[in-house]
Amino acid sequence: MAATVAVLVAVFYYPVGTVLVESVVVDGVVTLGVFVELLRDPFYFGELARLFAGENPLAVARALASPDRRLGIVGFTAYQAGLSTVASVALGVPAAYLLARFEFPGRRTIRSLTIVPFVLPSIMVAVGYVATFGRNGTLNAVLTGLGLPTVELMFTLEAIVIAHAFYNAPLVARVTTAAWESVDASAVETARSLGAGPVRAFVDVVAPQVYPAVLMGAALTFVFTFGTFPIVLALGGFELATVEVFIYRLVGDLNYAEAAALAVVELVISLSVLAAYLRYEAAQTVTSRGIRPLPRRSLFPPAPTVRELLPRLGLAVYVVVAALVFLAPIASMLLASVTGGDGGLTLDHYRFLLERQRTGAAFQVRPWPAVRNSLVFAAASALVALPMGVIVAVATTRQYRGRTLVAAVAMAPFAVSGILVGLGLLRGLVFGVEVAGWRIAVAGSAAVVAAHAVAGYPFVVRTVAPGLESLDRSLVESARSLGASRARVLRDVELPLVWPGVVAGAAFAVAISMGEFTATVVLAAGADAYTMPVAIERFIGRRLGPATAMGVVLLVVTGLSFVVIERLGGEYRGL
Amino acid sequence: MGSDPLGDGASAPDADAPIAVELDGVGKQYDGTVAVEGVDMRVREGEFFTLVGPSGCGKTTTLRLIAGFEAPTEGSIRFGGADVAGVPPEDRNVGVVFQNYALFPHMTVGENIGYGLRFADPPGGVSREERVRELLELVDLPGTADRDPESLSGGQRQRVAMARALAPGPDLLLLDEPMSALDARLRERLRVQVRAIQAELGITTVYVTHDQEEALAISDRVAVMRGGTPEQVAPPRTVYRRPASQFVAEFVGDNNVFEGVVVEGNDGRDDAVDGTGSSARTVPVDVGDGTLRVEIGGEAIETDVPRPGDRLTFCVRPQHLRVGRTENGVRADVESAEFLGETTRVHLSWEGEELVVRTEDPLEGTVAVGFDPADAHVVDESSNRG
Repeated sequence: MAATVAVLVAVFYYPVGTVLVESVVVDGVVTLGVFVELLRDPFYFGELARLFAGENPLAVARALASPDRRLGIVGFTAYQAGLSTVASVALGVPAAYLLARFEFPGRRTIRSLTIVPFVLPSIMVAVGYVATFGRNGTLNAVLTGLGLPTVELMFTLEAIVIAHAFYNAPLVARVTTAAWESVDASAVETARSLGAGPVRAFVDVVAPQVYPAVLMGAALTFVFTFGTFPIVLALGGFELATVEVFIYRLVGDLNYAEAAALAVVELVISLSVLAAYLRYEAAQTVTSRGIRPLPRRSLFPPAPTVRELLPRLGLAVYVVVAALVFLAPIASMLLASVTGGDGGLTLDHYRFLLERQRTGAAFQVRPWPAVRNSLVFAAASALVALPMGVIVAVATTRQYRGRTLVAAVAMAPFAVSGILVGLGLLRGLVFGVEVAGWRIAVAGSAAVVAAHAVAGYPFVVRTVAPGLESLDRSLVESARSLGASRARVLRDVELPLVWPGVVAGAAFAVAISMGEFTATVVLAAGADAYTMPVAIERFIGRRLGPATAMGVVLLVVTGLSFVVIERLGGEYRGL
Repeated sequence: MGSDPLGDGASAPDADAPIAVELDGVGKQYDGTVAVEGVDMRVREGEFFTLVGPSGCGKTTTLRLIAGFEAPTEGSIRFGGADVAGVPPEDRNVGVVFQNYALFPHMTVGENIGYGLRFADPPGGVSREERVRELLELVDLPGTADRDPESLSGGQRQRVAMARALAPGPDLLLLDEPMSALDARLRERLRVQVRAIQAELGITTVYVTHDQEEALAISDRVAVMRGGTPEQVAPPRTVYRRPASQFVAEFVGDNNVFEGVVVEGNDGRDDAVDGTGSSARTVPVDVGDGTLRVEIGGEAIETDVPRPGDRLTFCVRPQHLRVGRTENGVRADVESAEFLGETTRVHLSWEGEELVVRTEDPLEGTVAVGFDPADAHVVDESSNRG
């Protein structure tokens, strides 16, 4: 426990703290000047900046309502996050309806696949969308083939919103499905027997239990898309920069104070949304135990009536749209990696990677070090994230005073953007810190591992905690009364029983590390600590082909790691 | 509780047996709500001691405090005279059986029973395997060591849980509603078995149940708990025949409660009709619908003789309330009847109160019910003498 706290402080709270300090201390004097300037700068806050500058709120409101309003970077970030949230909910809720209320072959598989987009390397997805929406992308190829005019979606808000929906709609679907499945059928039956029709029973009984989950999905989506980085960097460029992208640019310009202040503003907005949601959730908690879920209908009834057919037709349309959103980027990336400039099949892009490995100059990004670094960082960060996650899971599933605080402190990294963590680690540890006269500097690669572990362990907590939560307390107590110490019970009883969750947590930690881009790109700047996602980003700047080939390499390596973890986990369990 | 006036604690261990577990003013609060309060009890070595009461009475909390899963917020707990405050559960040498058995699902029956032997040498110098075999023998499940707990029936799992708790040779066995998940018939069979094993090993046992019948059937002594505090600690027969409060009187078995005011007409003379020659006397009590005579017996005579004007609460068991007896009785209306096989339980309504009697024949209309003053038991009296 103490070790976990120490690691958290060293690699998260201290670095993030230094950023906060940096934003309020200018030339050794504590000041809020940087913030005041930031808030009054229309470049960041658009028309709202005039409000912060003391102008009449009515005039500001009028300006905001006018069509040529300026949103500023923060305003635009919130705007695109709002649109992305709407899109994710629109795409996610029908999926939840399908998964929770219908039975069809492959339902379980699809349900478990909803977690996949969340751990897919974001830069890889971004490359996939570039391959889809680009001028020579698959979308335009299809349109041309159909004799339709081509569209230019690159560097548009639409592309960003669709890519965000790819990430977050499955999240919305996941939490909503879980809530829907925990609606007790007898509650609905009671409502029906008391005289409510099917629609009324849905409105009165099902909806109140489902919409808090939708709201949770929406709140998380907003927070994630507000802090978006790789997608916007790749699909939006600096014209459509969000706060995160602009912080990255400020870091590149060595303007650390303004970067820090902007990061703090971003953090405050994200945490406010999360806190507002958590307050709401605390007031809503419903415990459902021993429920009998609503029965699933067959998706393909033998003799469908019109009434049965209509919702299914709607679902069919939805499935087509969803398949396009979710499959198009991956398929396009695979296709683009084997398509030459002339449109024919080729292995040139892979050959380019091999060539670069052989002849690349020291300053150039070479594929093998990227793969090796990714693997090493993934293994190392998983080794840190696993014990941390398990201990936090144990600490947050036990009942005691102050548990909520512990949970909040331990889960905060979930809500804090990678740029902020990366910036903190860079300024706080990599550049060195003076402790009792000694200057301690951490190597860039160690900082990358730390950042990845911080990004990954909340996922370990998420996969392990539910198992521990549902574990019968009397199992632990029996073992204790039989003579086992607390630590021994964890080893002999709890871990073996939640082992699938631990294995899943390891897979998550590895996947997060392999796909982590934001903090890595900050920390790997100039250093040799670049990973596969960083390599993809470097390649994408020049030509799409090698980037897609590198994306396929990333996909394959990540997939293989999953298989290995699965094997190792399975074997250990047998012990 | 040192004396046993009814002489019915025959199966109990010697009253002089050393105290194995002692609770002294024990209390437990969770965030300001009181779970148990002022619990004083002494369990003798080899005794089968039962905590019984309705849900929320604090019986399970008391057991968990003894096991060390919770720490008391007040008072002290001593094992064999030594304070166990701060001693973790694994060092208390107690065996615990839970309502849901809590068998480790990832271990076989044998591994479950052998788990405690990883931390302590088997008693009697036998090997671990031998000890597991012994215990399976003891709980009448020989040859099941390699089976998965899931493949066993509820009753079998319960016995495996018992064997697991006993394997390291604990000083104290704690059972928390171990049978409430089983059906009634199996429960009755199993409780005989549990009691037999306990008697064979002579192990001090604290048993928690909400089932008063089970408590009476299995225990040497019973503590009836209410609102976090024991209301009476006594052998089963005493609890049944001489309940210490109206709550105990009504919780343990069916009972009929009467309340009234002592009236004049009592010459204080010995006019008991029980013929035992004991120095009992009766007092007339005005219950609103007439006057009933109630025998005042036992210690009450010496110290606290009810006087006219005192309020008195007394109870009469259904089997003592005779239908058709007009002397020392009341008239009540038949409300409903339950046919129970060997007898019929009839619910009567009298003065807005419910009375219960046992009969062989169905009743209807208005009936007279009366009782022998010696069969009435005073559970509460409050003086008006200021």
